[in-house]
Amino acid sequence: MNTGHKVRKFGIFAALPLAIFLVVLVLPFAQGFFLTFTNWNGFKYTEFAGIQNYTKSFQDDAFWTTLWFTLKFVIVSLVAVNVVAFGLALLVTAKLRSATILRTFFFVPNLIGGVVLGVIWQFIFNTALISISQRYSLPFFQESWLNETNTAFWALIIVTVWQSSGYMMIIYITGLISIEQDVLEAARVDGASAFRTLMAIKIPLMAQAFTISLFLTLRNGFMAYDVNVALTGGGPYRTTELISMHIFQDAFAFGNFGTGQSKAVLMFLMVATAALVQVSISKRLEVQR
Amino acid sequence: MKKTMKFGAIALVSAVTVSLMVAAPAKALNCAKPKATVTMLGTIKPEIQDQFLGAVADYNKSQTCFVVKSIPGDRKLTFLQNVTPMYAAKNAPTIMYTLQEIPDMADKVMDLKSTRLARLVSKDLLAAGNVGGKQVGVPSTAEAFGLLYNKTVLDKAGVDPKKILTRSDLEAAFKKVEATGAGAVRFSSIWWSLGAHFSNMYFSTASKTKAGRLAILDGMADGKKDLASDPVFKDYLATFELLKKYNQSKPNTTDTEYDLSVKDLATGKAGFWFMGNWAEPNLLTASPKTDFGIMPLPMSNNASAYGNGSIPVGIPGYFMIDETQSTSWERKGAIDFLTWLYTSPAGQKRVAGPVSSGGMNFIPVYKGFTIQPETFMAKEISTYVTSAKTLDWMNTFYPAGGQDLYGASGQKLMADKITGAQYADELEKAWKGSVKTWRGEKK
Repeated sequence: MNTGHKVRKFGIFAALPLAIFLVVLVLPFAQGFFLTFTNWNGFKYTEFAGIQNYTKSFQDDAFWTTLWFTLKFVIVSLVAVNVVAFGLALLVTAKLRSATILRTFFFVPNLIGGVVLGVIWQFIFNTALISISQRYSLPFFQESWLNETNTAFWALIIVTVWQSSGYMMIIYITGLISIEQDVLEAARVDGASAFRTLMAIKIPLMAQAFTISLFLTLRNGFMAYDVNVALTGGGPYRTTELISMHIFQDAFAFGNFGTGQSKAVLMFLMVATAALVQVSISKRLEVQR
Repeated sequence: MKKTMKFGAIALVSAVTVSLMVAAPAKALNCAKPKATVTMLGTIKPEIQDQFLGAVADYNKSQTCFVVKSIPGDRKLTFLQNVTPMYAAKNAPTIMYTLQEIPDMADKVMDLKSTRLARLVSKDLLAAGNVGGKQVGVPSTAEAFGLLYNKTVLDKAGVDPKKILTRSDLEAAFKKVEATGAGAVRFSSIWWSLGAHFSNMYFSTASKTKAGRLAILDGMADGKKDLASDPVFKDYLATFELLKKYNQSKPNTTDTEYDLSVKDLATGKAGFWFMGNWAEPNLLTASPKTDFGIMPLPMSNNASAYGNGSIPVGIPGYFMIDETQSTSWERKGAIDFLTWLYTSPAGQKRVAGPVSSGGMNFIPVYKGFTIQPETFMAKEISTYVTSAKTLDWMNTFYPAGGQDLYGASGQKLMADKITGAQYADELEKAWKGSVKTWRGEKK
């Protein structure tokens, strides 16, 4: 193949997606990165500020509190979403008659947008559960879970699990059904128990699905915003703000566009590092067939 | 000094009571140019959205030059959150409405000094919309906050709000209301109520003079003010604790609090509620035949202490007109619409008429109003204004986002997560380093 042909082929297949990638991702990112070194006020900048925005961000107590809260949220949601999703995947790949219906059923919450989901669950926590538990004198939910920091944290986790586990389930299903039947049959012939088959055969052979799901949940956890805004709004007392919401508030509510933008850059670095570490570890556990 | 002290008195007396001048109809415009679309972000307030959109429809029918269109924006977001992406997309709304972000917008909007509307308002009421001599905005209405009450509940308990002059009088009244089986007071754990309005009870009574009050803001911004040693702040905290003690409900920080409070005051489950007159339409919708009044929140046990018998009255927001991304014809339309709204009989009916007949129940601040709001609370506010018993809205000067922080601290104090001393520390910390926009400083 000559060079001209290669260039033409590249032009046909890659130029458009590459151009879109450049315009909607790389350029805004570069522009945003540049603005962190200026005194940008959301409309324009008049002078360069050096690394002042970054030092200010590091000095902000609220930034660290939020970061710690986000970390807890990421870890708990990562574990919870994947455990539930894998459980659901095992359930719907078992030879059940209702498997297809269940699969759709579990996937549906993922089709509802985060804000809508947040509003629905806000009603459930603030009104529905309270009237039910008051009527039947149940000990839980006498007060809205969104009214206390600890319970609001769990409310965030519940809604996130509800929303994402259906999607991750699909990835795990793909992993599970891609395992060759002969390996499973061999295990059965050798008399391996279901648990043993799961641990020694299924999980190692579908490690790729774990890599993808863990990566996605990790990223989603760090970047969670819509459910946060719609469900708790950061309350009570601004104690349930996740990092994305904190950045958004800093820039747009307080008008601190410089620090807001530099915190966004810091967040990018953190997510990128965490994701790279996770992917490289998961990759090592994958089995080549 | 006295003149500045009684900012509300001078300003609002003229606006509320001088309604004898008959407004001249707006001059017919020469529509040589094609119809222009004038956009406005929001509907002044979400509570009167339908009424405002009704006014827009009336205006669009009344002339053929312009079409006014309200862009809803996202109500969960702040003014800056809504407006900055629109400016970045070169799609700024022609008319904008806000309060604390006025300094941020000053270089992007028109100088309205020479407009007819600006000439119809007193200088004092224009002040917060003036940045460095440029008239950045014109006011919408006057609002008041204080202790709202359900007259039926108070009558039953034998409480006369006019006779509550001190904090201990208030406690006695709470006890009387509780004796009838109703809850005494609804003290809402809503961040904006605690952050902007309740906190204002301290800043507006901290000094008798405007210069003194602004000096306190200076002290807060410089980090030099020690709140805990200020007797007015001690009274403020004692009032906070009193309302907390007699709060009819458990602290509820969720979005349901406002509606639940409206319901409880309207149905007489509570006698009082710390809120503002913007809640009156909601209350009257919930219970049309009840009278809801407003009274001062007494902060001191000394009846003659500054502000004890007064209610904070101020301008909740100013209209601004973009100058950087609109055409001159669009700007002309924006001015024409606002002038129509506040000077034409049809516009005035929408502005000051009762909610039930499509009005916004606004207290007029422009001269020449032929319609005045007729509700019980609106009349009470007029009495406070005409007898010069008003306090400043120092919250007008709060830095953008500041009320979020003061509100969160207030919520913590209400839920016993922090003590009064810690609350004072949090307020001092939140204020430290604020840009003194009240001194014309820029970010």
